[in-house]
Amino acid sequence: MSEPIDRKTVESVARLARIDLPEDQIDDTASKLGDVLTYIGQLEQVELPDDVEPFFGAIESVNAIRPDQLTDSVDREQILSNAPDADGEFYQVPPVL
Amino acid sequence: MSETFTSPQFDQATRDAVSNDDVTVIIGLEVHVQLDTESKLFCGCSTEFGAPPNTQTCAVCTGMPGSLPVINERALQLSIKTGLALNCEIARYTKWDRKNYFYPDLPKGYQISQFDKPICGQGYLDITAPKGEFEPRRVELERAHLEEDAGKSMHDESQRGGNSKIDLNRTGTPLLEIVTKPDMRSPAEARAFLTELKLILTYIGVSDCNMQHGNLRCDGNVNLHIKVGGEKIATPIVEIKNMNSFRAAERALGYEAGRQLKLWKQNGKTIADAPKQTRGWNDADQVTTPQREKEESADYRYFPDPDLIAVTIEESEIESIKKEIGRLPAQWRELLIKEHGLKPYDAGVMVGQGAEVVEYFLVVAQGCGNSKMASNWVGQEVLRFLNESGEAIDAYPVSADQMTELLTKVNAGELDQTRAKEVLQEMIDSKIEVQAAMDKLGIKAVDNSEIESLCRQLIDENPDVIQQIKDGNGKAVGALIGKSRKLNPNANPGLVKDTILKMIGA
Repeated sequence: MSEPIDRKTVESVARLARIDLPEDQIDDTASKLGDVLTYIGQLEQVELPDDVEPFFGAIESVNAIRPDQLTDSVDREQILSNAPDADGEFYQVPPVL
Repeated sequence: MSETFTSPQFDQATRDAVSNDDVTVIIGLEVHVQLDTESKLFCGCSTEFGAPPNTQTCAVCTGMPGSLPVINERALQLSIKTGLALNCEIARYTKWDRKNYFYPDLPKGYQISQFDKPICGQGYLDITAPKGEFEPRRVELERAHLEEDAGKSMHDESQRGGNSKIDLNRTGTPLLEIVTKPDMRSPAEARAFLTELKLILTYIGVSDCNMQHGNLRCDGNVNLHIKVGGEKIATPIVEIKNMNSFRAAERALGYEAGRQLKLWKQNGKTIADAPKQTRGWNDADQVTTPQREKEESADYRYFPDPDLIAVTIEESEIESIKKEIGRLPAQWRELLIKEHGLKPYDAGVMVGQGAEVVEYFLVVAQGCGNSKMASNWVGQEVLRFLNESGEAIDAYPVSADQMTELLTKVNAGELDQTRAKEVLQEMIDSKIEVQAAMDKLGIKAVDNSEIESLCRQLIDENPDVIQQIKDGNGKAVGALIGKSRKLNPNANPGLVKDTILKMIGA
């Protein structure tokens, strides 16, 4: 069985995901994430025959490939209009450095 | 097999006593190569460099909700081709994963990369030192994986805290990240690795490797293994970013090795005491400086990208790509040395100029029937012109066929080397062919009777020189060759010399 999730882990995951998690929701979130892990832990206990191949994705088909051909890009004015801030040429973001 | 290191504390005197002979530099490289595709890795936007900002983007590469990436077939093929040229195992099953981090030039909040099933597995690349600075070495490759590039950020350099500007044209461009094992033992070896890698990539045509355009970027991991007090310790690993030329890479790694030794002598900290640090190379000041640590940056929380499905690669596809590879630089060098008698250094210089120069040489060598002469002329005359003009071989004014014609005349004794160089210069200056250049310079065949009367005249007019020759000073004949050139520039100096010696019975 997996370890329960502690507050520190929740805070760390929230920070990585840039989620502003209110202080009073941390314990609740820890408990919910713990439930998810408990469920996954149950799946881990299923005994599999030796000949089962490892499984890397939920879709069984492979090789959806496109040829190296150009398609039209989106007009700049239109695509920049999705951004909170732009100067007509560039996206503008708060200073990074 | 990984070595284990102890983390004992040595006193200052013991640390100070460590000499350079006790220190081994350990270098690994990560090289990002932009693959030469028309369109991006997961969408049909152009990868062309230099377009106005944000004119080559779409819903997929800007990460709009509901858009779906579909992988570019050519990017797969070029990755396989690279892997084969680098002796890598090619995956039969490969998939893509999300590498999660936040940065303004990464619109999706994750980069589509490959985590546990890279397209190319372990391989190797052999390096040699052009002038014997180090022993030949096999650098093992850990893997090469196919991922998308991020966009470009432009920060306000004025210190006034202005906004950063983001251009997403580059977002989604296919990159192959080639990761070596920590197998290099000096900055010179790292440079040789990069040089050879770039040469291979350009020979097989998977990338133009233009570093100014960012089409080849490299980061280095470096630390030191130090033998001290009967034990072996390792200094903390530093990753160096922003090494934007091979020369810069060599200098950055050399600087960093020196810095780590000095720091360890000061504080004694080993790999067990400090986490991996990221530093940037400052080319202007020739130093590495610490880069702001991304908080918990190592925690990328990779997971399989649910928008993409895996790719399986058939044996037949690998075989057909293998056939397209052709000779690699090392094989060309061997051919030039073994079949054309070039010295290893000269073969290295020739091959280092690219496949087109080698092809030019082969046409001339085979055409004029004298590989050594062809190697001298291509190696000196042609390469000097290219170095001085900064042009590629296809801009060289003299075609391989014309060069062949010229050298065939030299080989047959119709032109001496000095005259031939004048002819070549005339061909370049006036953009004319061999015969026209010879006519323009007034060069015509000189028959034997003319040579003989010329030699008779030289003998009669220079009794002192003749006496010197007869006295055993063979070099004195050179003075007569100079005079012969003035009397008749078309007379072959070798023939004049032989005729004079025969006439005076020397």
